[in-house]
This record gives sequence, C-alpha cells and structure tokens, in this order.
Amino acid sequence: MNLKNISTSVPKKDHKGKVSGQLPYISDVKVENMVYGVLYRSPIAYGKIISIQLPTLPEGYEAVGAEHIPGPNYVKIIKEDQPIFANEWVNYIGEPILMLTGKDLDILYSLLNEVKVEFEEHQAIYTLDEAIKQKSVSSVLANYEFGESLENISAIEQGAHQIIEEEYDTGYQEHVYLEPQGMLAVYKDDEIIVQGSMQCLYYIKNALLSALACGDDEVRVVQSPTGGGFGGKEDYPSMMACHVAVAARAVKKSVMLVFDRSEDMLVTTKRHPAKLKYRTALDKEGNILSMCVDIFLDGGANVGLSSVVLQRALINSAGVYKIPHFHAKGYVLKTNTVPNGAFRGFGAPQSFAGIESHIGHLSKLAKIDPLEYKRKYLVKQGDPTITKGKFRDPILVEEMIEDVLNVSEYKKKKEDFQRLNQQNQRYKKGIGTSLFLHGCGFTGSGERDHIKATVKLVKSKDDQVSLKISNSDMGQGILTTLCKIVAKELDLPFEDILYPYPDTKEVPDSGPTVASRTTMIVGKLLERAAKKLKNQWQTGVEQEIVEHYVHREMIPWDEKTFTGDAYPAYSWGVNIVEVEVDTLTGNIKLEKVYGNYEVGKVIDERIMKGQIDGGLAQGLAYGYLEKMTSKQGRIQQKSISDYGPPTSLDVVSIESKVFDNPYADGPYGAKGAGELTLIGGAPAVQAAIEDALQTSFQQIPITPEVIIESLWMKEGEEG
Amino acid sequence: MIKFTLNGRTVETDAPATARLLDLLRDEFELIGTKEGCGEGECGACSVFVNNLLQNSCLIPIGSIAGADIQTIEGIIETEQFKILDESYSIAGGVQCGYCIPGMIMASAALLSKNPHPSEDEIREGISGNLCRCTGYNMIVEAINLAAKKGDGLW
Amino acid sequence: MVEKITAYRFERLDETLSQLNREDCAIIAGGTDVMVLHKSRRGVPPKIPKPIVFINHLSELKQVYQHHKDLHIGACCTYSELLENPLIPFALKNAIKTIAAPAIRNRGTLGGNICNASPAGDMLPLLYVYNAKLLLRSVNGNRMVTISDFIQGPRRVQRFHNEIVTEIILPSVLEDSHVVFEKVGNRNADSIAKVSFAGSIRISKDRIDDIRFAFGAVGPTIVRSVDIEKKLVGKTIPLDGADIAAIGSAFDKIIRPIDDQRSTAAYRKTVALHLLRYFLSMKQYQPN
Ligand SMILES: Cc1cc2nc3c(=O)[nH]c(=O)nc-3n(C[C@H](O)[C@H](O)[C@H](O)COP(=O)(O)OP(=O)(O)OC[C@H]3O[C@@H](n4cnc5c(N)ncnc54)[C@H](O)[C@@H]3O)c2cc1C
Ligand code: FES
Ligand code: FES
Repeated sequence: MNLKNISTSVPKKDHKGKVSGQLPYISDVKVENMVYGVLYRSPIAYGKIISIQLPTLPEGYEAVGAEHIPGPNYVKIIKEDQPIFANEWVNYIGEPILMLTGKDLDILYSLLNEVKVEFEEHQAIYTLDEAIKQKSVSSVLANYEFGESLENISAIEQGAHQIIEEEYDTGYQEHVYLEPQGMLAVYKDDEIIVQGSMQCLYYIKNALLSALACGDDEVRVVQSPTGGGFGGKEDYPSMMACHVAVAARAVKKSVMLVFDRSEDMLVTTKRHPAKLKYRTALDKEGNILSMCVDIFLDGGANVGLSSVVLQRALINSAGVYKIPHFHAKGYVLKTNTVPNGAFRGFGAPQSFAGIESHIGHLSKLAKIDPLEYKRKYLVKQGDPTITKGKFRDPILVEEMIEDVLNVSEYKKKKEDFQRLNQQNQRYKKGIGTSLFLHGCGFTGSGERDHIKATVKLVKSKDDQVSLKISNSDMGQGILTTLCKIVAKELDLPFEDILYPYPDTKEVPDSGPTVASRTTMIVGKLLERAAKKLKNQWQTGVEQEIVEHYVHREMIPWDEKTFTGDAYPAYSWGVNIVEVEVDTLTGNIKLEKVYGNYEVGKVIDERIMKGQIDGGLAQGLAYGYLEKMTSKQGRIQQKSISDYGPPTSLDVVSIESKVFDNPYADGPYGAKGAGELTLIGGAPAVQAAIEDALQTSFQQIPITPEVIIESLWMKEGEEG
Repeated sequence: MIKFTLNGRTVETDAPATARLLDLLRDEFELIGTKEGCGEGECGACSVFVNNLLQNSCLIPIGSIAGADIQTIEGIIETEQFKILDESYSIAGGVQCGYCIPGMIMASAALLSKNPHPSEDEIREGISGNLCRCTGYNMIVEAINLAAKKGDGLW
Repeated sequence: MVEKITAYRFERLDETLSQLNREDCAIIAGGTDVMVLHKSRRGVPPKIPKPIVFINHLSELKQVYQHHKDLHIGACCTYSELLENPLIPFALKNAIKTIAAPAIRNRGTLGGNICNASPAGDMLPLLYVYNAKLLLRSVNGNRMVTISDFIQGPRRVQRFHNEIVTEIILPSVLEDSHVVFEKVGNRNADSIAKVSFAGSIRISKDRIDDIRFAFGAVGPTIVRSVDIEKKLVGKTIPLDGADIAAIGSAFDKIIRPIDDQRSTAAYRKTVALHLLRYFLSMKQYQPN
C-alpha cells in the first residue's frame, strides 16, 4: 500500500505474530546449552557483608558473584554507584549479591534458600521524609537550583497580600509491563550475545563493555519482542544484562534470567515518590506575584537516572504557566529502598500533579473557576520558559481548551453536578481539568552531546529497504510508524520496508527508546536518510545511507546554571475528567474522560489513539487507583491485584482529538507523543474528585482511604 | 501418566500432578502462545479453554485435567472465529506490546461463543480478568464489538 | 530434584472418602486458592506438603436442588455454574459477580471459598446471613455444622481430615426479605475485599420481623452478632436516628480490623459502619 496521507492508519507490522502468540518473547526462547540464573538478594536494607557461605553445589550448578566480573563492579549508567553484584555494602532489600546457575529451577530455588550471608546491619533510611529531615551531603544524590533570586522574591513576598504554602506528596508507580523482565546471554567462545526485553540497546552494550572489559566485537545486544516497557526497561535491563553476561562468561554456558511477577514488583525500578513544596505570594484579587517550588525525589538506594528525572521534574515545575518571579530547587535523596528510575513522563507527572493541584487551590482562593484561572497564566508563543529558553512554536492550547469545553459541556455539567450533589447524599459527581505539556527528546543538549544519534538505511540488491536503528518497539508501534515515514519518503509500499528487531552488530547507535524522542528525532533522521536514498536510488544495487543528528538552533542549555532551551519542542494536552465518588466508601468511578492533544503531526492515527488510551489509563490510575507502599524498606504490594492497575472495568471510553501543528524539525511535522498522554490523567482526576467533594487534597493517589479520612475521620465523626 | 486432549490431539505426560498446565504447555508441548504474566490468576495471559471454558492455566494442576479437552491459542488459529478476531483486532488497533493478546483473544472467543452480541459492559466484564497495560482496553473492546458484528452467525 | 508426588483422582465420592480416611490429604477443588497459597517461583510446580485429592470432577458434589424449604448447593459447583442456575437466589448471584473475573469463576468453587476460610471470602458474609449449614461427609457418615461454627479463623476450619464438605444448605432462602451485599475492593474486577457487608431485613406491617448483618474482612472471621440484631426486632421502619446510632456503636466495639498491604484498619472500620448505617437508614425495603 502506498501512503497518501501519513496519518492514515496501516496494519501493524507485528500484528500477525502477536495476535497468534507465535512471536517469541525472551521467555519463549530456549537455546542449546542453556542454564537458568537465579539471584540471591539482600534481605536487609543497609549493611555490610561479613561473609558469604554457599551450600555444596551439585554438579552443573555454579555460583557467580563479584569476583567473576572482569571489569569494574558497577552497572554503567551515569554514576558508578550501582554494583552488579554487591560485595561490600548492601543498600536495599533485594539488591543482588550473587547468582546461582544450573539447569533446574526447582533445584536452584532450594539452593538459594541454603545460601547464608552474614551482615553487619546499619541504621537504614526508609522514607523520603526521613531523608529530608536528615538531609546531609552524603544523602543528596543530585540537586539543582534556578530562577529568580531569593532576595527579589522575598521583597515581593513582603508586599504581598497573602502567602500560600502547600506541601504535596506523590506515591510510587509500578510499570506492570505485562511481560516481566527477562534477559538471556548466549555464550559463544568469541562472543556473548545478550538478548531480551529492553528499550535501550546501546545502554546495555556500553554497560557490558565495561563489565566484561572486552572488545567491541565480543558483545552483541539483540532486542527481543518486548512486552511493554514504559521506562521500566530503560535502565533496569542493563543490570540484568550484566548479570547474565558475567555469568555466561564464568560458567561458559548460555544463561537465562526471567523474573517472576513478584520478584519484578519487589526489586525493579519504579516512579520516584516525590514531595513538592509550593510557596506563592498573592495579591488581593488572588493573582500570583511570585512562586517558589522545592522538589524532593526519593531516589532509592542508587542514583541511576534520578538526576535526569529531577531535571525534567524541575523544568516542568511551573506547568504550562507563565509565573512571574519563579524560583525552583530540587533534590534527589538517597533512601535504603529499591532504586527508582524511568517511568513514562520521567519526573513530569509528579510536577504536573503538583502544580495543577496548587494552581487549582489558588483558583479557589481567588473564587474563579480553575480553568479560567489557569488560562490567565497560560504560556504563549514567544514567551520565555522558566529556564530562560523560549517557546518558539505556535501554541494551540487555547483552541484545544475551547474545543474540549464544548465537547464535554463543561459549564453545564458543573452546574448540573452541583444540583445533583445536593440531592444525592451518597454519590457525588465532579468534573476536573488539567493542562500540560511534554518536552520532546532529551533534556538540554543531551541529543547533541551524549546521544549523537546515527541512523542507517540499507537497500539490498533486490531493492528492499531496511531500517538499521537501535530503537525498540515495545508496543508503542515504531516498527510501523518509522517504516511509514521511510515508505512515504521513498514512495514505496509500506510493506516493502523492513525493520528487523535491532542487533547492535547490525545497527548504529540511534539512541535509546526513551524521552518521546524516537518518532521526532530518529524519525527525522530516517526521513532525511530516505530523501537521500531516493535521490541516489540505483535499481538493483546495494546501497547504504547514514545520517547523523543535527541540533536545532536554540539557546544553549547550561546544566550548571540550569538555563537555556531545555527542549527543542513541546507537545501539549488538555484533559477533562468526570467522576462519581461514593462518600460512604470513598470509591471513585470514572464516568467520562476527554483529551485534546497537539503532537505536531500524527504519524498513524490508530497508533496515536492507542497511546492516548493507554497513557491515560496509566495516568488516571496514578491519581487514584494504583498504590504502592514501602515499609521498613520492603515493598508491600507484590502481586498485581494488591497493587491494582486498572482492569477493563475500571476505564471508560475516551473522547479524544489530536490537533495538527507541524513542527519543522520532526518527520512530517511530528513531535513526541508517548509520554504526554500519561501526564494529564492524575491532575484531572484530582480536580474532579475535589470538585465532587468540595474539598482539597495534597497528595496522589487519592485512594478511598484518603477520601474517607478527609471526609469523616478528621471530623471525629467516628468513635 | 496423565492423558488429555490438547488442541484436538490425545496427549499424555508423566509430569507430576501438581505441575502447572501453563508450564506443561510451554515446556513440554512448546506452545508458546500461552504466556505467563503473573502465575497467580491475576493477569489472564495464560488463558486457555478447559472443556470450552476459559480458565487460567497457571492455576491448573495437571492432575485435575485428566480426560479434559484443552485448547490453546494454537488450537484455534485455524478457525474462522480466530480469523475474524485477528482482523478485528487489527482494524481496531487492539494490539500494542502483544503480551496480553493471546489471552485476550481466548477471552474474546469465550465471551462471543457464550454471548454473540455483547453490550459494551458485557465485553468489559468478559475481559476483566485479562490485564492489558498498554492499550487502556478501549480499542480491544472495540475489536470485540467489531468481531461480534463481522462474525454474526459464527459464534 | 524430582520429588514423589502422590495424587488421587477417583471417579466416585465414596472412593475419595475411603482414601481420605486412610491418609491425611490436601483437597483440591478448583485449586484457585491452593495453587496460589503454595505457589513456587516461576517455572516450578507448587509445593504441597501432603498427598493430593482432586474432587472438583465429582458429580456428587455438583448438584443443586431444593429440599422442603432448603436449598442444597453442591460444594464443587463453580461460580459460573451457580450464576446460571435458576435456583440460586438473586442476592447470592450479585455477590458472585463481584468475585475475580470469568476465568476464575469457571474454576473456583463455593466449597473452596468456605473451606479456604479467608476473612475476605466474598461468599461468606451472605452465607452467614443466610444461616448456612454445611454437610460434611466421611466414611463414618454425615455431619451438619453451621457455617459460623465451621469457620474458626483465617484458613482454619473445623473439619476432620477424613471429611469433605459436600453441600452448602441455605435454610428457607429469606424469600420475603430485602437482601444486600456490598463489596469494597480496590478496583472493579480481580480484587480482594477490603471490607464487605451483607444485610437482610424482613418487614411485616412496618415492623422489623427479622434482621441480620455480617461484615467481611474486618476481623479474623466474618463478624455477625445475633444479640445486636435482636435489639432491632419489632422496631418500626424507618428506624430512628438513636436506634441506628446504638447499633453502630455496638458494632464499633466488636469490629477490630487490621492494617495490611490493601488498606488500613481505620478505613475498614469506618466504611463497615457506614455501610451498616446506610442499610439501616433506608426508607423502604423491597423483598428481592
Ligand atoms: C485471581 C484470583 C482472584 C480471586 N478473587 C476472589 C474474590 O474476588 N473473592 C473471593 O472470595 N475469592 C477470590 N479468590 C479466591 C478463590 O478463587 C475462591 O476462594 C474460590 O472460591 C476457591 O475455590 P476453589 O475451588 O478454587 O478452592 P481450592 O483452592 O481448591 O480450595 C481452597 C481450600 O478449601 C479446601 N476445600 C475445597 N473444597 C473442599 C471441600 N469440598 N471439602 C473440604 N475442603 C475443601 C481446600 O483443601 C483448600 O484448603 C480469588 C482467587 C484468585 C486466584
Ligand atoms: S499467568 Fe496465569 S493469570 Fe497471569
Ligand atoms: S498490548 Fe501490552 S499488555 Fe496488552
């Protein structure tokens, strides 16, 4: 099929294999001479390893630990603080100490029970609140500060009518990708091939080069079909890859490591719990004079990607608003809990939940409808960003708001609900909104300085064109969208473009599959490569085109001063959510959900709708449904139902629309879309619950427990 | 030795009676379409038919299925019903990462064979034990609705 | 490590009972509780410490019939079978619909829910309200126990190892009563109750003739108090505020829930009492 309009949907490349279940995920793979690996994990939150005692291992069973790592004992991510196998200190419950390998899982599990490790336990820090209280040099894993000087702000505050301070908490979020993490190292004499469920092939390859201290041609990373990622397979798989590769080297066999669901829930990265503090000066009418925001992220035991997550949280700390005299600072603090990492939105969901909540509460003080109040502060094209960058491109949020107000009959519903709520004692209805954006691509100059993406198109003798890039399809559909871009540019049938699962032996580093960068950045490079190929096309001849990243002209980003253009482009969104709250149980029922988005140009309408529906389901649930807690360093919810991601009976159909606003540096005008869709869910749900109950909350998730406490228990209604 | 019918064929195994049907299908019979997402009955990725009823194979000790008729996704791939579901899921865009999908297809088929014209609520109920983390379900619900229409008379 | 696993699957109930008489076995009906309770990590069969007896294929345990005014339900009826059976009361069906999801309902059995004796078992509150009795059978004969005597604590029931629960008996199924069941879970499917409430009320000439309530997931077993219920018999409907408050505070004293990974003690207690008061404050009750 030749593509007339890029947005028109096509059948997905991987549909057949997935619908029939015959596409092999990593746990479906068996190779010759394969053994399983299981990990012995720290049972304590913080302490020193004194001794390790192994049981007698039967023939064919081996133990692999720090002493088997040819290179340095850390997982190469950003800082060198995460051991592959902890051998001196353990910093969280679940930290891997050693691996046992062998053929039979049953035997491995029972051997694992016989491993005895003696620790000298130390006083651990279990919660973000404790970490904030004891904030010391050693516990700050990262920090930044920027904005208007505090002297100026305090002068403004002195003349203010009122100063409002709020503290806002957000909880963990667990990815619950349906396919648990899995990684296999295939052993060969001269090469280790690591394959598995992953988002970032070259992160893994670089981690392996370091861990194995080997040459570039001695390791190879191949992506398997990946059963969901959402950020959870961004940084974590590097550690698993090191485990299986080190083990494979040590035992000279192929080693498979696949997690059980509960293991996955207990030890893999999650969305950072956060505390956000707002201090805002208001005039008599409730107008904002200045605002200070402090953000604290619970990093868990290792820094991992947390510093970058904090950057995004800070850059988004003013939401979509132009706030006069804004100041922000933020910290990642260490706790002795499972390390937190990437999750769709990457720091932004916490910030948007916080700022939307705060601005909503300010609107109540000003006695103005929240949406009207928010609109007064909306950024416009040409406005500076809070980091002294610039919103260069047209912003359609006003039109998007107008449209969704009409479609949802927002004003009428607000009135209807007030009336209904007076009549119904038990069930209360509410409607709420959220406004949000997402900066596309890596923060600052990351694309230019760190990633330096390269893509390759290869044409075979029989004129088949293949994409050679290191990006993973984990369900978001890039096997299809990126092929569409190339097909359209080459004016070839979409079916003729191939995109095999990437293998680092074949593909250059086009960067990780994160940060809503794939379509916009990799897609653009592919578009350019395809243009070039078309110009040089020689039928029946093998050809190869390579393209390198070119940075958009922007105000240079300076991480130290935290100034400059943080992102080349932004995608935008507006959500409206209606809920019904059962005041007796605190249960929340979603009734209607609306979303308007602007992502430049849609590359495939159906795939975009999938991103909207799936992202919103996660974002809404982050606001009221999904609850994960840690107690004495131990995650409490280790099964899917205890954690509670939405089932088909918890979501409703979503009315959504996508606005066209082509972006010059994206393929066909496309920007990022994958993360944006999650961000507006939680704040809109919160606003709707607040509207229903005519009260304010200072946290998400707003669980029934939180609602009942706020409605009843505080008033001392119950004995 | 436990004997049962698997996708229309009589098979037997000497695996222990407590072995999970899920492991047996995947390891001994190499039927990889039945996936493991939780191992506790909470995700539906391992859904199969036992005597035509949708069940979670991770919770079935094989000792309890002696003589039973077991069908996996592989056993229905050739049917007209599957073809309709396949097409409907494609048109509606119900497949993202795909890990939940074989289980979803089994649940869809189970629902439609019992209730060929389900309402939206009945569809949501029918797949409520099948977790999907990617799609937010709506496009799957649409796919089943479409399959009901396209396959009118088939179920 | 191939351990020897003994498992029995007899064609008839009497053979099964004889085996149980010879040997202490783990009974597996649908297995939806047993398989999770004894779950191993990925790829390994569950570890069940006793020989196993499968019973869910036994047709003797799958009958549903009316005898005089009593409804007899075979212990191995699955939820799906009960949903399709016209003899099963509407209120019980509503409770069944709150359990898990279709695939589990195709396996899980009523007998399993009772014998598993979880305080969050969703069949239990209504069975307490129905004054359900259990028929236990062994090689020595039959024995009848009330459900409240049978269930002793979480996963603790009063069953001798040679006995099987064969029937659940609902005496005169509260035909002219208004019966409700409310389950509060964390989401709308596949969720374990954080609190649940069952109530029944029979009115004759504006006066309460019979009233019962039971709470799930707020203590080691279902909470029901016949003494408290009695205080309301004879009162006129709608109940006045003081009566409702008195009942509320009586239950306040005996409901002692816990904090766990699913909810808090405070929430459970507050909501349990809310549901009770809501039930008591209704303006009218319709037999269902
Ligand atoms: C994902 C999932 C969701 C669930 N959701 C719910 C829910 O929403 N609400 C709820 O209440 N439960 C729920 N359950 C629990 C379970 O499904 C029910 O308790 C079910 O009724 C158990 O029945 P079974 O036949 O599977 O029991 P089994 O696991 O076979 O047995 C349970 C116990 O009872 C004993 N037993 C069973 N039958 C007999 C008998 N006839 N005589 C003597 N002893 C017997 C067994 O030895 C065992 O100790 C859920 C389970 C899962 C896995
Ligand atoms: S693996 Fe069986 S239900 Fe999840
Ligand atoms: S498509 Fe990924 S879980 Fe359903």
